[in-house]
Amino acid sequence: MSAFISYLVHGISVGCGFALVASGIIIIYRVTRVVNLAQGMFSVVAGFAAATLLGVGLPHGLAELGAIGLAAAVGVATGCVAIAKPGTSPQASLIATLGVGIFAYAVEILGWGDQPRSFSGLSGAYEFWGIDVPKQYLLVTLVTFVVFGGLEAFFERTYTGKALSACASNPYAARLQGIGVLRMGLYGFALGGALGGVAGVLLTPLQPISYDSDVSLFVNGFASAILAGLKRPVLGLVGGLVLGIAESMVAGYAKASYQSSLALLLTLAILVAQATRREALHAVEE
Amino acid sequence: MTRSVASAWPIAALAVAALATAAMLDESALSVYVLLTLTASVTVGVTLLMGHAGQVSLGHGAFYAAGAYAAGLLAKHGFPTWGALLVAPIAAAGIAAAVGIPLLILRGHHLAFATLALHLIFLSLISELSITGGDVGLQAIPSLAFAGITFGSVRDYAYLSASALVLIVLLAQNLLASRPGRALRALSSSEVAAASSGIAVGHYKLAVFALSAGFAGLAGGIYAFYMGYLAPGSFPVVLSIEYIVMAAVGGLGKVSGALAGSALVFLLVHGLSRIATLSGMPGTAPIILSYAVYAVLLIGAVLFLPGGLVAFIAARRNLRARPERTVQPSTPAASDSASSAVASKRGSYS
Repeated sequence: MSAFISYLVHGISVGCGFALVASGIIIIYRVTRVVNLAQGMFSVVAGFAAATLLGVGLPHGLAELGAIGLAAAVGVATGCVAIAKPGTSPQASLIATLGVGIFAYAVEILGWGDQPRSFSGLSGAYEFWGIDVPKQYLLVTLVTFVVFGGLEAFFERTYTGKALSACASNPYAARLQGIGVLRMGLYGFALGGALGGVAGVLLTPLQPISYDSDVSLFVNGFASAILAGLKRPVLGLVGGLVLGIAESMVAGYAKASYQSSLALLLTLAILVAQATRREALHAVEE
Repeated sequence: MTRSVASAWPIAALAVAALATAAMLDESALSVYVLLTLTASVTVGVTLLMGHAGQVSLGHGAFYAAGAYAAGLLAKHGFPTWGALLVAPIAAAGIAAAVGIPLLILRGHHLAFATLALHLIFLSLISELSITGGDVGLQAIPSLAFAGITFGSVRDYAYLSASALVLIVLLAQNLLASRPGRALRALSSSEVAAASSGIAVGHYKLAVFALSAGFAGLAGGIYAFYMGYLAPGSFPVVLSIEYIVMAAVGGLGKVSGALAGSALVFLLVHGLSRIATLSGMPGTAPIILSYAVYAVLLIGAVLFLPGGLVAFIAARRNLRARPERTVQPSTPAASDSASSAVASKRGSYS
């Protein structure tokens, strides 16, 4: 039983990381209709940057904030490449974000080398009913829930958030209302970059990252986003938690190397099921 | 265009050029040439799939690996090596057909993700299974032998891979010039219009997917015999992306574009990494340069050359040719028409 609880705790905190990546993917997709293949890269950049900033003597907190800010800036730069040129189709943008992700490999290896890096987060653990819960896990979970609360408030209570939602639901109508769709798209990318950055600084102490960690981060984030139907960022939290816990259980009770394949197969099954249902709907409409 | 066979001359010229190159290069250049022709073979398939069936595949490296492992495993277990090479494309095409039936329902970014997932699952499978040798991979794959001839030297494999490339180009060109090719062109511009003209959209998509996987499988099979060993690390995710870079740089959907794009990108990356290893630079310099080149070419091609290099050169040639024929073509108007041609090309992307 205590093994189960500890897998559950691990799954929740990992799932929170997935959820942060997923929410970035969802926000960018909702606002720009582009699936950002460079989303995992934001986390990698933030993780590396935080390690460096801590290395030069910045205190915890400040270093992480700086890294998240850098990730947001990288997000804007990615957005500029992907959507700033008028008339770029979503598929062309998709491939452009892939190009940005590859370019980031070159920069990351140049700046930080090709070996995995990490930094220490909160050490120690709290004991609840005889089960050790590492403090970093609690921090990840806590920060994630605060971030998602903030996101919900941002989209529901601020004009910028409303404008972002307007672009997401109907870009043409949004433009008629005087909303700058491109600017909103870049805001989306900035927010997506920051969310990826939060995931990066939270997860790096749990598991060292290297330049090519972005593939697994993206895959898990996108899987969570798919579980959430690519609709609301908050649903990404549910998707991420489901996926994180499922993977943690598979790794705990079966074999660790199966966990990512299982997540991928699950996501493929959901994608195909959704597409089949959509085809059927189309057939009815036609 | 009522002829259903592509013009024979360009392909004959390609065959002569490819084989003559294999005959003339020295040993060290030949090893590059073998890999270049294998890469070009896969890229031809990728460009058919992306340009004509309108599908983004981030997983063609997996089909290349599938062909390589199929050939390597069979050859190691006593199967005749030429038979193993024949099975390689069939195995890859078979896998593609099997996974394509559910996956090709997906479109756009969903399919891109699905094919990426396929590549990752395949990598984790071959590094888990004991029959594929796990992370260590397959060692000591015997040399290819056919009718008493053993393929021992690099030059033998250069002839083989060049012949495979010519065969693949021949197949691709004839496919595009035939009735199925016209059907493919129709479905790449509008699936709905194609379907309402009686084209079995699903079947054609699946057929192109399997065919392009078969091309990759054949190239992979040759790679297995050429290298003599296989490991999961030889088939990273970036491999699948390289094919897309090459196809996009050359111009999606054009076989000549796939050849030009793969030659240009491959030689550029190879040349740069050779420079990077020469001059006492850090050990990571070659990989940094190759990633940077792939990225810049991919972004540049997607954003600024939507028709690819071949279309760009053709447009430039038209621009230069036009002033002699027409009375007063002011340059802006001419470039306008060129860019609108490019824009209509871009329409066929989505």
